[in-house]
This record gives sequence, structure tokens and C-alpha cells, in this order.
Amino acid sequence: MFEFFTEMWGFAFMQRAFVATTVLSASVAPVGAFLVLRRLSLAGEAMAHAITPGIVIGFVTAGLSVMSLLIGGLIAGVGVAVLTSLLARKTILRSDASLASLYLIALAAGIFILSAAGSAIPLKSFLFGSILGIDDASMMLVGGVAMVTLLSFAVLLRPLIVSTCDPVFFEARTRWPWLVDQGFMLLLVLNLLAAFKTLGTLMAVGLMILPATAARYWAATITGQLVLGFVFALLSCWIGLTLSYIFPNTPSGPAIVLVAGAFFLISVLCAPLGFGRKPRKQSHADTTSLT
Amino acid sequence: MQPVFQVWDLSLGYPGKTLFEHLSFSIESGTTLAVLGANGSGKSTFVKMMLNLLSPLSGEVIWPAGRPREIGYLAQMAEFDSRFPIRVRDLAAMGAWGGFGMRRRLDREGHMRVAAALDEAGVLSIADQPIHTLSGGQLQRALFARVIMQDAPLILLDEPFAAVDQQTEAHLLTIINRWRDEGRAVVLVIHDLSSVLDHCTHALLLGGGHANHGSVTEVLTPERLVSQKYMSESQAAWMFRSALGDTKKDTSHV
Repeated sequence: MFEFFTEMWGFAFMQRAFVATTVLSASVAPVGAFLVLRRLSLAGEAMAHAITPGIVIGFVTAGLSVMSLLIGGLIAGVGVAVLTSLLARKTILRSDASLASLYLIALAAGIFILSAAGSAIPLKSFLFGSILGIDDASMMLVGGVAMVTLLSFAVLLRPLIVSTCDPVFFEARTRWPWLVDQGFMLLLVLNLLAAFKTLGTLMAVGLMILPATAARYWAATITGQLVLGFVFALLSCWIGLTLSYIFPNTPSGPAIVLVAGAFFLISVLCAPLGFGRKPRKQSHADTTSLT
Repeated sequence: MQPVFQVWDLSLGYPGKTLFEHLSFSIESGTTLAVLGANGSGKSTFVKMMLNLLSPLSGEVIWPAGRPREIGYLAQMAEFDSRFPIRVRDLAAMGAWGGFGMRRRLDREGHMRVAAALDEAGVLSIADQPIHTLSGGQLQRALFARVIMQDAPLILLDEPFAAVDQQTEAHLLTIINRWRDEGRAVVLVIHDLSSVLDHCTHALLLGGGHANHGSVTEVLTPERLVSQKYMSESQAAWMFRSALGDTKKDTSHV
């Protein structure tokens, strides 16, 4: 057992993958928590697909550099977000249908361009991530995004809590309520890009949503939600990477997300706010130890 | 009594649709104003205007003593996320948070203020419960504690009794009376002519393209309630049967 870990951590790419996903977990956990609490889980998923053509076009035109990934992804993400809100405001479609339409077009365009350009990256790695793909530049990207995310949350945490829990109250007290919405969407896109190398475009949002939904079943406070979400994300990454190492042909994305899925299922079955207990029928005495 | 908020020749509505015109009145400290009207009469639009979320079509909005830094506000429950992971205590403390900024911990005095607010609202015993375990009435009490924490000279309550039982309503009304006695101005948006009106000094009746402001007895006459489409003639006849004099028995003039 011990020898197995020594051997696994002997590889530089595994060391990098473990460090990168540890930092990544700290970064995506708060984003995931608020995606879930703000009822944007599916919007997050759609956004992950929507940034695909940006990444692909950046890659085809400027090669696989972190800057091309970042610029292409940000343009696509912000573009889709702006178009979605434009369609929802100016046409008959609601925002979910607008977003769904746009992300489908974007995803199809991304995969089409990638294949047509005769990409050197296998499609599988692109969609589902690869532990071999994490180079020094990707590490810098993950570190940079994590720093921006955690600093932003230090400032945005209270406004995010108020605007999520009671949006009308928040709007009434703040001069720029849109700043929180837009700032949060930007953090989402940045974190999706940071997660892209390890998890791929299809799985990136999995590391945000599943640990957060699993934590939701245990936590009675926002602090509990954030801390537990991070712990679940971290464990999912470590166990998932190990699985991906044991089975050499498996992409890392699904391995990590499957482990997160296992945490989710366990939480559904055992946690106090899952099937373990009915939330509205608690007596006063037994509710203080939920976190 | 100092005027806190004034409007002059106010018209309110949206482009292409005017809800009412030529409204002038002022809200003074130590008074309670009931805002009444049928659906679509402009109650929510009026609230949005007071909160600076919407500009009037024309007319002037005046804050004689300057716009207060804080307006105590209780929004309608429709968009409130009652499953949000937060304890009653922290929900109340939210009233004392600024808009943006780092997360600071409450000091000792802050904790005591939260406890006092929860106690006054009658939810101190469940202060550590997460809000998803609360009943509708308990949640409304917790939200009242948050308004207490806001400590504002002007308090705006949007349909505060829509989902609470009589006992809770009576309790919350004592808090509203306390605010009025302390010299705060309270604006209550209510949907129905209820017992709440006994506790209001003034009324603003919206509807039928008009807005009328005055003392409760001046404004809420059967004639006005019918002409402003708040209720039908037969409803007014039934509701005002005792006020119009039981001996008379004749409601034909309503």
C-alpha cells in the first residue's frame, strides 16, 4: 500500500495533478456552493459547455497556451452570458431556454471546429480532462484563479449571502446589485477554465456542483456549507486521481466526478437533511448540532 | 413631527401606462401609513419608488432631512429563499450588515443587540435553528428582528401579515406601535382592509387611476373604496353596514 503511493507520487505529473486539484478544490468550492444556493446549477453546467468554442478557437489559432485558453474562454463565456440575458429580456424566451439554445450551438461549434482543424489533442482529453495535461502554465492558471476567487469571496461573501437568501431586500439596500451577479458569473467562467485541464469541458462543473449538493445535506450554516463543500471536493480529487492512475486509460474528469457522486449519494441517504430526517418536522431541541 | 419623506405632484407608472397622477403628501416621523389598493393599482411600484429602484414618471420626491442611510425594509416573502443555510440569529444580524465589505464579526454589543431584537420578536428561543425549520409565522418574526436590527428612521413593510396567524400579527403590531412611539415613520403595504388599520394613522389608497392620501377615516370611505375599484358596491355595503348605522339599513347611497 505504502509502496503504491510512493510510486504514484514519484511521477512528476501526479505530483502536479495532486497540487493543482488541491488548489482547484479551494477555488471551486465557494463558487459551487453559491451556484447551488442561487439555483444556478444547470446554468453553471450550460456555461461550462458554452465556453468550449472559445477554448477551441483560442487553441486552433494560438496553440495550447494558458493565455489563449483564458482569453478564448472568457470571450465565449461573457458573450454567451450577455446574449442569454439579451434574449431573455428582449424576446419571448425565458433565460433557461435562451441559455440552453446558445450553449448547444456553442458546444457543437466547439467540437466541430476542433475536429475540422485536425487537433493534436484527443477529443477525449478535451471533453473529459487528463491528468497528463497539467503543465507548469496550467498550475499557474489554477493558482491565479484560486487567488482571484478567494480574494473576491472575501469581499463578496456578505452581499452574496444576502442577495441569495433575500434578493429583494438586497436590491433595496445596494446601489449596484448587478455587480454581485456579474462578478459571480465571471468567477464561474474563470473557475471553469481553471478546471478545464483536469476535468475537461464536460466534467468541469461536476467538481463544483456535486460536492456542494452533498454538503447541502449536512450543513445548517453557510460556513458549514463552504467548509464541507471544500472537503468533499478535495477528497473527490485525490481519490479520483488515484483511480485514474490505477486504470491508465480512464480520463481523470469522470473519475473525480464519480467519487464526488459517491459522496453525494452517501449524503442523500445518511445526512440529516437528506432522507435521514424530514427537515420540517424537527423539534426545537434536536436542531442545534446539524453542522 | 418632522416630515421624513415627501412627494409633490407625483405620477407613477411605466412607459405607456400611468398608474396614478398628481399625488402630493408627506410622511412624518411618528406616524404609520397604510398603503392599500387592488392588484395592479401600483402598491409595488410605490414601494420601488420609495426604495429608489424606480423613477417617477413626473413629479418630485423629497427627503427633507436627506435620504436615510438605512431604510428598514421587509420585502414580500415570494422571493425569499427559506431553505438558505442560515440560522435565525444570523438572519437577524443581516440587518446590521453594510452593503459590501469584508466579513466582520459582530462585537459584544452587536451580539446583545441581536439577542434583544430576537427577544422582542419572540424568536430568541429558536435563535440557533436553521431557518428552513421555521413555520411561516416564526420566519416573519425573524425577519422583523432583522428590521429591528436595521434601526432605521423610516420602515417599509410590504405585506407583513400575508402569511401569519392572528396571534403573530398581534405581536408584530406591538413592535410596529413601538416604532411609531419612538418617532420612526412606518409604511405598511397591506392587501386587505384588516384590523391592522386600527394601528395606522394615515392611509394611501391607490386604484382606478387615482391616489388619495389622508387620515384613515378620511380616505377609507365606502365611496372612495368603490370608485377606486378596491371593492364592489355590495362588498362595501356589507363591510360598512355597522359604520353606516344599523338603524338606517339603507345602503343605496354607497
